[in-house]
Amino acid sequence: MNLQTRDRLQLGTLLGPLSLFLAIFFLGPLFIMMVTSFLAPGLYGGVEWHFYPDNFGRILGFADPAFEEYDPIYIAIFLRSIRIAALTVIVTLLVCYPAAFQISRLSERWKNISLFLITLPFFTSLIVRLFVWVLLLRQTGLINELLLKTGLINRPLEMIYTDGAIIVGMVYIFIPFMFMPVYASVEKLDWSLVRASQDLGAGPVRTFLRIILPLTLPGIVGGSIIVFIPALGNFVVPAVLGGAKVQMLGNLIEQQFLSARNWPFGSALAMLVMSVMLVLLFFYVRQESRGSQIPAPGR
Amino acid sequence: MKLIRSIGRSILAFYTVLFFVFVYLPLFLIMVYSFNANPVNMMTWSGFTTEWYAQVLGFKTTISENALYLESTDQLLQAVRNSLLIALSTTAVATLFGTAAALAVHRFHFFGKRLYRVLLFLPMLMPDIVLGIALLIFFVSAGIHLGIGTIIIGQCTFLISYVFIVVSARLAGMDRTLEHASADLGANEWMTFRRVVMPQLMPGIIGGALLAFIISMDDLVITYFIAGVDVTTLPMFIFSMMRRGIKPEINAIAVMMLMFSVIIASLGLYFRSRQKS
Repeated sequence: MNLQTRDRLQLGTLLGPLSLFLAIFFLGPLFIMMVTSFLAPGLYGGVEWHFYPDNFGRILGFADPAFEEYDPIYIAIFLRSIRIAALTVIVTLLVCYPAAFQISRLSERWKNISLFLITLPFFTSLIVRLFVWVLLLRQTGLINELLLKTGLINRPLEMIYTDGAIIVGMVYIFIPFMFMPVYASVEKLDWSLVRASQDLGAGPVRTFLRIILPLTLPGIVGGSIIVFIPALGNFVVPAVLGGAKVQMLGNLIEQQFLSARNWPFGSALAMLVMSVMLVLLFFYVRQESRGSQIPAPGR
Repeated sequence: MKLIRSIGRSILAFYTVLFFVFVYLPLFLIMVYSFNANPVNMMTWSGFTTEWYAQVLGFKTTISENALYLESTDQLLQAVRNSLLIALSTTAVATLFGTAAALAVHRFHFFGKRLYRVLLFLPMLMPDIVLGIALLIFFVSAGIHLGIGTIIIGQCTFLISYVFIVVSARLAGMDRTLEHASADLGANEWMTFRRVVMPQLMPGIIGGALLAFIISMDDLVITYFIAGVDVTTLPMFIFSMMRRGIKPEINAIAVMMLMFSVIIASLGLYFRSRQKS
């Protein structure tokens, strides 16, 4: 056996079974989902095997004219999901960015402790972390309880089952995703450039906008993408904190599969979520290959 | 100027304290209130009790029945058993596949390697709901009965990515001169692998396995879609409890889960920190 055949054999042993597994159970399902999104929904659930592009039309409001009239409800849900996901990204960034500066200046020991404390929630149960916010935000929740007791309000505020509640919940669970990439670029920041800028007479605002912001931008972009992707298609947070109405794409997809039983339409919606993710990922990878290294968040 | 800077620093420090308060105060509160005796208003303190924990763990308590969920401890225990069984199986499979992939990508040059790396990252980045419904359609159209088996397969697709990343990081930090030394001293390839590579790689593999285990125990969305009708995991159990209304029992379960994951996570981070030195 010469060296090359042996190498090939080793490589095949290492990657063969895995490739087969991913081809069948990862690429296969995605392919079938894509096919389903172009099929017609059957009357009693299930699918009809002929080409039917109206699932995608329906998202935009232009559905099969034989059945439906123009109805922009789905595009409204899509835009609303985008808005909520974008707000989540902005708030998460505002929460994490300043803290990253402070933590990057701590001593080695405290830095490590802080990073441990920030990553730790990522490992705790997601549903438990959301449950905590239900207890805080609901009508008889702790925040209302405290506000009533101190006399600041005389009627409980409606905080849960609002978009605000969804955003708070998402910010809470996505903090580690944003913090790690942002921190990585803040930590690498060359402070001598900041000092040079100040010595040359630039004010704090200008120094921030011209030096600090551009240098930490890779982390900001990376963190934003990593938060935006799971926020857009999220269905647990709106289901727990967002009340009964269909709030976001994730709930709409769930509904198509578990109650409406319109799998082709659900698949088309999932294709939409997936394409947004692929487009963002493409930009992320391109930016990363341009020299800025962003590590995976908290993993 | 100096004054402004020191004020700025204090604000930043204060902000960071608030940041940690925001992250940890809610978790701290839930621990405190899990001992609250009030059966109706969970967030109005009415005395200390450990009865909720006793109830969840299956002991006899004096709590009136309408403050409790109908299902008993048995169903909770069944959910825990399912979760553990699934997590242990997925961890074994994902660790094996993920480690093999990391070794292959690290050691060999082959055609399409960059694309293969993308393929290994994709399952982790794919939004949960997309992967969940894709697997659902796949299993249903293939006529595979939904249950523990499909959950294990489904979770493995993305857990492999996590193990791959952790083990790859470890491999990248390893010193290859030791391998050359071992070969120079006459050890064959298998022996070098077993005696030199494996011991160095072990912290990475254990770290990856723990991460896979904890993510598997916590997975809700993908499991939710491919669990079928008769299997419930722990996160699904809590999710369905919450959808039917909040009762204090969830508090006790939640705190026990928090404790459990903190222990596992600390172990994992310990192995990761050993990786760096």
